[in-house]
Amino acid sequence: MRSFKPEDKLSRTEKMLSTDLDQETVLMSIEAGAYYGMAGTARTIWAKLETPMTFAALVDELVKQYAVTPEACAAELQGFLGEMEKEGLLHVG
Amino acid sequence: MSFGDYYTYGLHIRSEILCPELMPHAQPGEDPEVTIRLLSEVPQVTESLENKYFEVQPRTFRMSVEGVAHYVVEDGRRISVEPAEGATVDKIRLFLLGSAMGALLYQRGLFPLHGSAIETPWGAMIFVGPQGVGKSTLGSQFHRQGYKVLSDDVCAVTPGSAGMEVLPALAHFRLCTDAFERLGVPESGIFHVDKFVVPLGDGYCSHPVLLKAIHVLGNQESGDPKFEVLRGFDRVKFLLENLYRPEYLEHQSTQSDLMRMAGAIAQQSAVVNVTRRRDTALIATMVDFLESAWEENFGPAPVKETSEGEWTNAQL
Repeated sequence: MRSFKPEDKLSRTEKMLSTDLDQETVLMSIEAGAYYGMAGTARTIWAKLETPMTFAALVDELVKQYAVTPEACAAELQGFLGEMEKEGLLHVG
Repeated sequence: MSFGDYYTYGLHIRSEILCPELMPHAQPGEDPEVTIRLLSEVPQVTESLENKYFEVQPRTFRMSVEGVAHYVVEDGRRISVEPAEGATVDKIRLFLLGSAMGALLYQRGLFPLHGSAIETPWGAMIFVGPQGVGKSTLGSQFHRQGYKVLSDDVCAVTPGSAGMEVLPALAHFRLCTDAFERLGVPESGIFHVDKFVVPLGDGYCSHPVLLKAIHVLGNQESGDPKFEVLRGFDRVKFLLENLYRPEYLEHQSTQSDLMRMAGAIAQQSAVVNVTRRRDTALIATMVDFLESAWEENFGPAPVKETSEGEWTNAQL
């Protein structure tokens, strides 16, 4: 699985339909017909990535919002963004 | 050319094809929102369709039913019908009020669910599920037991002032509409649609009703019926899976709107899984079962308010 660098540009895929339910954002892949539920931190990350930004910028944003060190945040993001990319939810430019 | 003015799905429809299934409009002199025209020749429809059964463009829907008619639905406002030679009006109406109407509802930004809908003291209840699961049968059983019917094939949901509403559709209940559409015209070319047209009389609801719950019906091998209120994003999935004629949705902008509406519907109303043994002897007990389940899950039946303006049915 990829290792994200601070300067990697991240953007959401265009190929999802989305809607908001109480505690989660629901995504549906138009092509695959697969559904994803994003709650909590995942939901926040998805919302922030509406504007494409670098990995480093995303860490900065999250550190402002959550009680987490930049290092711990970056480490967690590696795994989560990797999953997103694997599912086709994330573009890395 | 004679025409009828009707009220259905919240719309004033003026149609050159007379439709006894629909409620007559109380103010026929007003401008209609939708017009249905009968045309004797629409050559461009035949040419552009080639062998395809239907074609979806952003604001135009075309459909050909062999031996019945060509239909064009435009801008959510106009339906043009070119009958095939020898086609009977009842068959033309079947596809007009089913598929063509479904396409119109999508063009108008409504959320059409495939199933039946009734009015209850808790609000509108919709029954959806796979082909043949018994949605119309259950709807007609409720009708037999005194509940008013909103629709029996296409349930149009739309945001209203107080929340998501189900719009009234028919003045006559048509059983097996979907079965006829799927079977198409049989070899003999003869089938009597009107045999299945059951006048509802007082049994239809003529005003929009706030949506309370959508029930996804399923079968089970054995055991008592089950009523399970769903949580989480399964609700969105079930709503989208039970859209009427989803193959009429080709464009992402419509899909985005529908996705958002599905979320809003799931927020405002319950989505329930109902499974039961498929047994005709049980059908009457299903009404009792659901009434109890509604009371248990949604609280006691709210006292019905007196309705404000009774729809007067102008006799044609």
